[in-house]
Amino acid sequence: MADQLALSVNGASHLVSASPDTPLLYVLRNELKLSGPRMGCGIAQCGACAVLVDGAEVRSCIAPLSSVAGKQVTTIEGLAQVWAQKKGLGETEAASTLHPVQQAWIDEQVPQCGYCQSGMIIAAVELLDRNQNPTLPEIKDAFTNKPPSPHLCRCGTYAAIIDAVQLAAKTMNA
Amino acid sequence: MVVKTDRSGFSITPTLTRRGFVTLGGALGGGLFVSLQFPALSGIAAQVEPASTTSHLVSWLEIRQDNTILVRTGRTEIGTGMSAYYAQVIAEELCVQPESITLLMGDTDSTPDGGYSAGLLSGAANLRKVGAYTYQALLGLAADKLSVPVSALSVTDGVVSAAGKSFRYGELVQDQQLDLKIPVSGAPPKVDPTSGIGIAGLDGLVVLGDPPTKPVSQYKVVGKSHPMPGIPGKVTGKTQWSCDVILPGMLHARMVRPATLGSTLISVGALDKTRFPTAQVITKQNLVAVLSPNEWEAVSAARSVASATKWTEWSGLPGSENLTQTLRAYKWGAPSQSRGKAADVNTALAHASRTISATYEQPYIKHAPIGPFVAVADVRADGTATVWTHSANSQGLRAQIANTLSVPIEKVVVRWLDHAGQFGRTTFGGDGAEGDAAILSQLTGKPVRVQWTLQEDLAWSASSPGWVEDITCSLDGRGCVTTLRSAFYSLQSTDARIVGAILAGMPCSQSKPGYWIATEWAYDKIENRLEEAYGMPNLGADSPTTGLRGNIMRTPGQRQQNFALESLMNEAASCAGIDPIQFRLLHTTDQRLIDIIHATARAAAWEPRPAPHPGARRTGVQPLNGRGVAIMIRENSYWMGIAEVEVTPETGVVRVTKFTLGLDCGKIINPRQLERCMKSGVVMGVSEALKEELVFDKGKITSTSWSRYKILTMAEMPEVKVVQLSRDDKGFGGGSEGANAVCPPAIAAAFFDATGVHARRIPLTPAYVTTLLKGQPPVRS
Repeated sequence: MADQLALSVNGASHLVSASPDTPLLYVLRNELKLSGPRMGCGIAQCGACAVLVDGAEVRSCIAPLSSVAGKQVTTIEGLAQVWAQKKGLGETEAASTLHPVQQAWIDEQVPQCGYCQSGMIIAAVELLDRNQNPTLPEIKDAFTNKPPSPHLCRCGTYAAIIDAVQLAAKTMNA
Repeated sequence: MVVKTDRSGFSITPTLTRRGFVTLGGALGGGLFVSLQFPALSGIAAQVEPASTTSHLVSWLEIRQDNTILVRTGRTEIGTGMSAYYAQVIAEELCVQPESITLLMGDTDSTPDGGYSAGLLSGAANLRKVGAYTYQALLGLAADKLSVPVSALSVTDGVVSAAGKSFRYGELVQDQQLDLKIPVSGAPPKVDPTSGIGIAGLDGLVVLGDPPTKPVSQYKVVGKSHPMPGIPGKVTGKTQWSCDVILPGMLHARMVRPATLGSTLISVGALDKTRFPTAQVITKQNLVAVLSPNEWEAVSAARSVASATKWTEWSGLPGSENLTQTLRAYKWGAPSQSRGKAADVNTALAHASRTISATYEQPYIKHAPIGPFVAVADVRADGTATVWTHSANSQGLRAQIANTLSVPIEKVVVRWLDHAGQFGRTTFGGDGAEGDAAILSQLTGKPVRVQWTLQEDLAWSASSPGWVEDITCSLDGRGCVTTLRSAFYSLQSTDARIVGAILAGMPCSQSKPGYWIATEWAYDKIENRLEEAYGMPNLGADSPTTGLRGNIMRTPGQRQQNFALESLMNEAASCAGIDPIQFRLLHTTDQRLIDIIHATARAAAWEPRPAPHPGARRTGVQPLNGRGVAIMIRENSYWMGIAEVEVTPETGVVRVTKFTLGLDCGKIINPRQLERCMKSGVVMGVSEALKEELVFDKGKITSTSWSRYKILTMAEMPEVKVVQLSRDDKGFGGGSEGANAVCPPAIAAAFFDATGVHARRIPLTPAYVTTLLKGQPPVRS
């Protein structure tokens, strides 16, 4: 049942041995040892497993491996690199620079437990990619009404997330 | 060092000695190791000294010659910022920066103290003393080295200076191995199933004595918004979470759960080896699991096996819609706890000219973490067991696992790693996937990782039980409350049994039914009061397996009882025609409460008037606005909340538009982390007030996904305004939980303000609100 499938994750190509129906999340975590995306609900209802596929948010807990063949997958482990490429940063600067969204999450001290924050960061990166200056209602809308489900945080860090998205927008536009 | 004596009269002198017998590897060389000493007191069972006390591994604190400081605590970071607070508290006493401290948390083989992780006050009190004892020892070393009296020394950021010379702490301990023994009391963890929670206590070891601590007025570290240490790792993917543990030869397991909470196994579905060649099924009584080296194969095979597995049907639950009726029908004996003067209160109420009575209630709710339970266990043939967990009580879990596996507790090691917030469900060390993993590892002889699904977590983890409270008060001529009587009825709320052990028929801790009075009394002007709490066993506790297990959740007991008390105070204020804030001020002389009430009211621009609003009505398509208040005293903290809501009678939709939350928790350790805790707590409180309700039929929980168990989303979050009052003279207070408890009564009061209809049950769902607005007779304004 296991096939050899080519996969591009965080800029690197991988050949993984897995059945094509395996959800991407299991491959990222168990085969590629990327623990950023996390198992939440397993049914695309919470957002903890979110990754970017060709820049668009995808819930990796239900996305079969076959659906990402030939596409670029980005997890939070690869965000700094995405930013460095976008800004054309040199090697030294790139090594010490986080993606502004991640930096904003630190500067604003967002986590409570932090379990959902990987998915929240992915959603924020996607939002700021299509809307450089989101208003408060637009931020709330993006984290709540965008299919397939709201991004849920049980600790209740929504206010901190909003602060961080706004800070990141400011840095990215600077 | 000064010999001090604690209140019980025994000597609690810390001792500083050179230890020749410890071999330290690597470049660390010398250091000061702070370890524990149980005072020699006869006749106290707690005097058992852990065998490993003399090992540097269990030291509480280490000052190393490279100037690094390692602090070990059995407490853990549960998201509320303990890792920042603890480091700040101990850094303050040591006169160093918190960044120089590395915290090692939660592992039972390398932390000394145990205890549950929500206990900031006991945890911080311990670390403050550990720091203070160590600081005195360091001063002594410096005075010797500099040949000056201690009073001549000054210390800044870990550098001791006198007479023109300076030494860093690392230099004071260089090439020596110094052992500072500090006095502690408490019981080492033990297996005691009859304790109800499997361990001896929640606070772990307690540091004794009264070492000189730094005056609050000189604080430089406590009170500043230092960052929480773990955040960079969490946002870059570097943190190792408990779900990330992978061991060589490890099997992934998925559990096949019974059809209902009391089902027994009839037959296990066949495993199709052609489709799932490396999977296997393990069964022990009613515990059924599918294991595979490949996680996705375990998931797929478990689904296939589950669909063909047969269980008996059980129907020992009343159905969630009949919960109140069930509580009412129960034959209650004496209250499990009672506080107040029964005879005086009953007489006063019998003769009162004016009384108000009401009944308040709430259904079962869930802790509902975003990450379901997950655990890894490695149980060896020699009986040793290592369990990787995110429990909030590592030593409690260790005792639970030892009990279930029937191995000595010394053979069990629990390693703690970050994971999703638990909100109290692992306070007693039980529940969770750890039991499943340990049992399966013992049966297979291999390391096993068990990942619960969300559905399984919502259906099989313990729940915060529903409750009903009857409350009555008498009013004097001015409308003030003179006498108050309350009776709180709920179910088992300390069931720490491990699901896997129950299903497998293996030894479990034993739960004690009963409930407790959790309110801290705010209204000293109400002279006569009687509070009673009654607890019944789990729903369906007659079943051969589990029934509906109950366990505590954030601000336990007080969240529920404060809802009833504050709701009644709001009703009484309305009856008296007095503004609800003014009404509270009429019932207290506690200056801290008065101050936080005023500060919060100012921040919310509160204009006094009685509730309900003159324009209150119960029909129409136009939204109505209302506002309400609630207060709470908890763990040396004073809370005040003001809710502003919008109610649309036609649809029954309630929105909380703004919440102003005030808090005086004594000396604030970290204003920014506290603000995050307060704002986050409001989200959970609003969620509970508007949305959360666990639904079950006669045999099982049916709200088993996020579309059926709804929690607050970002778009539903109100604007939150936070007011903090820090006090230098009142010690530390609890601020990490508590916010959630202040929200529901304030929101219910705001609903009344808008509609003139009392909301005596939460959640205020559109369906319930619609019934309420159609049914209850209107209150005259």
